[in-house]
Amino acid sequence: MNAFEFHRPASVADASKAILSSDDGRFIAGGQSLLPTMKFGLSAPADLVALAAISELSGIRVQGASLRIGAMTTHASVAASDDVKRSIPALAQLADGIGDPAVRSRGTIGGSLGLNDPAACYPTAVLGLGASIQTDRRSIAADDFFKGLYTTALEPGELITAVEFPIPEKAAWVKFKQPASRFSLVGVFVSKTAAGVRVAVTGAGPCVFRVPALEAALSKSWSATACEGIRVSADGLNSDLHASAAYRAHLIGVLCKRAVAAAG
Amino acid sequence: MNAPNELGRFGSGNSVRRLEDPTLVTGTGLYTDDANQVGQIHLSLLRSPYPHARIVSIDTAAAASMPGVVGIYTGADLVAAGVKPMPTVAGFKRPDGSPAVSPPRHILAVDVVRFVGEAVVAILAETREQAQAARDAVFVDYDALPAVVDVSDAAEPNAPQLWPAASGNVSAEARHGDAAKAQAAFESAAHVVKLDLLHQRLSAVPMEPRAALGSVDPATGRLTLRLSSQMPSGARNTLCDAVLGIPQDKVRVVVGDVGGGFGMKTGVYPEEAVVAWSAFKTGKPVKWVAERSEEFLASHAGRDVVTTGELALDANGKVLALKVWSLANVGAYATGSGVAIQLLIGPWVGTSIYDIPVVDYRFRALITNTAPTGPYRGAGRPEAIYNIERLMDAAARRLGMDPAELRRRNMIRPEQMPYKNPMGQVYDTGHFDSITRQALELADWNGFDARLAESKARGKLRGRGIASFLEWTSGNSFEERVTVNVSGDGYIEIFTATMAMGQGIVTTYAQLAVDVFGVPIDRIRIIQGDTDRGVGFGSAGSRSLFTAGSALQVASEKTVELSKGLAADALEASARDIEYLAGRFNVVGTDRGIDLFELASRQPARQVFMESSTTVSGPTWPNGCHICEVEIDPDTGETAIAAYSSMNDIGRVVNPMIVRGQLDGGAVQGIGQALCEKVVYDPESGQLQTGTLSDYALPRIDIVARFKTEMDTSIPSTNNPLGVKGVGELGTIGATPAVVNAVVDALARAGLGARAEQIQMPLTPEMVWNALQGQFPVQRAVNIPGV
Repeated sequence: MNAFEFHRPASVADASKAILSSDDGRFIAGGQSLLPTMKFGLSAPADLVALAAISELSGIRVQGASLRIGAMTTHASVAASDDVKRSIPALAQLADGIGDPAVRSRGTIGGSLGLNDPAACYPTAVLGLGASIQTDRRSIAADDFFKGLYTTALEPGELITAVEFPIPEKAAWVKFKQPASRFSLVGVFVSKTAAGVRVAVTGAGPCVFRVPALEAALSKSWSATACEGIRVSADGLNSDLHASAAYRAHLIGVLCKRAVAAAG
Repeated sequence: MNAPNELGRFGSGNSVRRLEDPTLVTGTGLYTDDANQVGQIHLSLLRSPYPHARIVSIDTAAAASMPGVVGIYTGADLVAAGVKPMPTVAGFKRPDGSPAVSPPRHILAVDVVRFVGEAVVAILAETREQAQAARDAVFVDYDALPAVVDVSDAAEPNAPQLWPAASGNVSAEARHGDAAKAQAAFESAAHVVKLDLLHQRLSAVPMEPRAALGSVDPATGRLTLRLSSQMPSGARNTLCDAVLGIPQDKVRVVVGDVGGGFGMKTGVYPEEAVVAWSAFKTGKPVKWVAERSEEFLASHAGRDVVTTGELALDANGKVLALKVWSLANVGAYATGSGVAIQLLIGPWVGTSIYDIPVVDYRFRALITNTAPTGPYRGAGRPEAIYNIERLMDAAARRLGMDPAELRRRNMIRPEQMPYKNPMGQVYDTGHFDSITRQALELADWNGFDARLAESKARGKLRGRGIASFLEWTSGNSFEERVTVNVSGDGYIEIFTATMAMGQGIVTTYAQLAVDVFGVPIDRIRIIQGDTDRGVGFGSAGSRSLFTAGSALQVASEKTVELSKGLAADALEASARDIEYLAGRFNVVGTDRGIDLFELASRQPARQVFMESSTTVSGPTWPNGCHICEVEIDPDTGETAIAAYSSMNDIGRVVNPMIVRGQLDGGAVQGIGQALCEKVVYDPESGQLQTGTLSDYALPRIDIVARFKTEMDTSIPSTNNPLGVKGVGELGTIGATPAVVNAVVDALARAGLGARAEQIQMPLTPEMVWNALQGQFPVQRAVNIPGV
């Protein structure tokens, strides 16, 4: 690991100032993805701006028809939150299945979304519920946030502060694990909210994505059987050591069906 | 001290809790990386990024001036210093009768690199980080050469030829049996089944990676080399005799706690030899600890064999002949053990527990651009047993016969013991039919239909697989030397040259000592891992207990006998009148006696010392029957172990809990091969694709939940005084075919019939799902022409 300057601001404003004054700075939230890349020498930021001391970035609260989760809230906190379990149980379940206990006690929702790993769990919930990402500058709709492989709509130095989830009528998350890493080989999040039906998929492509054909079918009839006969195209899907694109495409259909059944 | 009590609680037959565990599970063990010396420097190795390339130039200038760098050495430097290549294959022949060959394996590559991950440059620096930073600053210019990583590809006529003396990339060949008789049997057979089988390459993945710490005493010029090793003596001998060309007494190998070996930590590795040489060269203690990725790249791999197997049967299901033709990928450099495992040891059990009169075995060891292969839990026997057990199931399917019944019709009967198999191997004991019957009962074989129906009602496919089998143990080394030292300070210290590596052998030995001495188990100290205290073959091939354990018992008994004479002197009685009981010598019929340790304290050296070597009369032949039921999710292809039962004939048992742990842990590794593990090299680029634990899938502990593991201890081995049979590898060997047969059975029942037999390991969800869609991997038949 290369040497770096470590900053620990106590406010969003100071964090912003610190990152903008560095030529090569990175925010560090839980560090569960960034630190390993630094250890392997794959990234070597000159400045690390730690967000841990900014108390306004943590916390979970229900506000009317939405659930707000602060960017620095850990996966373990989300998994254990009664507010989350009551309002969006699928989200608590998703958080409870990320990584291992060590990852869950350090990793944060903001960190996961900022990285946008192609097999991460959280992006699926955010896109699959039509959540909005709050930053220190603006609010970004999920549909506009995830831009591609490890790419988001965040501008340089822009900081995620919270995520606002609409509380759905129904939602469910089903994850099919890559056998070695236990990341999602394919993960599917489905929801039915006032705004409609969403099906979001992780692990299968370069970036989380929605499946319009399944959404259309489920909009007509919210039932597992509605998914049958809809073939998801393998075009553009990942093909690697662990699964072909065709198998991933097949799994999307199977998991979507299971998620709908689980959502009730 | 009370003999019945000590024996009753701690002697053999008891599930004594492992004496090793309080240290190991509280993080206070002493693994090689835990040892540090003042002034030590660190070794980092620059490894080849190419599967096959000529080294054009190596530029170390920039790295040499980096902070903390002590020295940078290349293969040419070592050759100039007189370092010799590692030993390679010996004792085998090539197809034309010439001796087996391998490219010379220098401890750092010279002129040519032959696999991705081969060590090229050694960088020594004051800290590990400095060594790694300097490594990144060494520039090597390579000229890429054609490469081949897959063994079937390497056998193709147009394959890149990797070594001039190994035409066709064939390092060695072995033929066993009678090809003409086999051909005749096949021509007259009522039924013939044939399968093309893949035994995919595996990585051992011990929790503790390889590590070494070498330091030279300036006063004596002797090197103390700490290693994580199963065979300290062998490592020392190879290092001194072959590589460094120095007397064996110049090196002391010391081994502390070992975090798993599985066969991978036998012998000495190039990296460890570089540590030793560097310690002599620099005069400083030198440390190297493998990174996990280095273990995937450069530790010896297991398996990697393709086989075409054929079985000829008569109308009643009696096997007439067996053909096994295999190509073994032994990697870039053919090691002695890597070749012997595939060309000799596996074939020794090729006919397993069946009375098969005729075989035609043809094996070739091929050189490729991959890491060398070597021993890995089972070592040759998993391949052999997988072949025959897959063929048995295929034959049962063809004949429409219960697979257990077909096996029983072919089993060697107890009255045929001792039984010589077609390879000339002699089994001393075995009640195979009884073991199988017990396993069938344990697994409720006949109740399968109800469970099948129940699975079907839940939309799942269910299958049942059986593997009845034996294995050979010993590492082909039957002698061990033990020293016993009864100290006047109140303990008995016993040294053996075998090694604890997590298998519980320390506790097991201590129990044997309690059997003889009748003292509390905390009076027994088992010492291992120091070539200055004694040498021997070490721990491999499931041999420790029946070789060194036997030697320990004999040495302990001799110690008691010797002490009887000393007690007679002390008590002024005749040795004939002395009896020994529970740590005390008594004059029969009197109240006069002396405590064992008191007796020792009165000796001139305040101890009673015994050195003794014991040679057992042959290998042991543990055997068993493993039965697995799987449930497959037809939507995803996921396979779950629904039930797993095994009956194991392992002779006498010293510690049932430890033995069960060995059987279950072994089975987990066998299941890993069946379902998820596979080392993958990209066939085009030659790059290793499974270089981390994020890509190499290991089995998880939850699969043991459904294990029903039982032992039949009523059939002692007749080849050693303990009557024990080796148990370290048994579970691994039985599990793989039992699980695969169960999956094939489920797929066959799902409508695929015999087509299901085309599936290949590992049975990942995608592999199984593809099979359900009628798609199977291409597996080329092995064709080795007759002579």
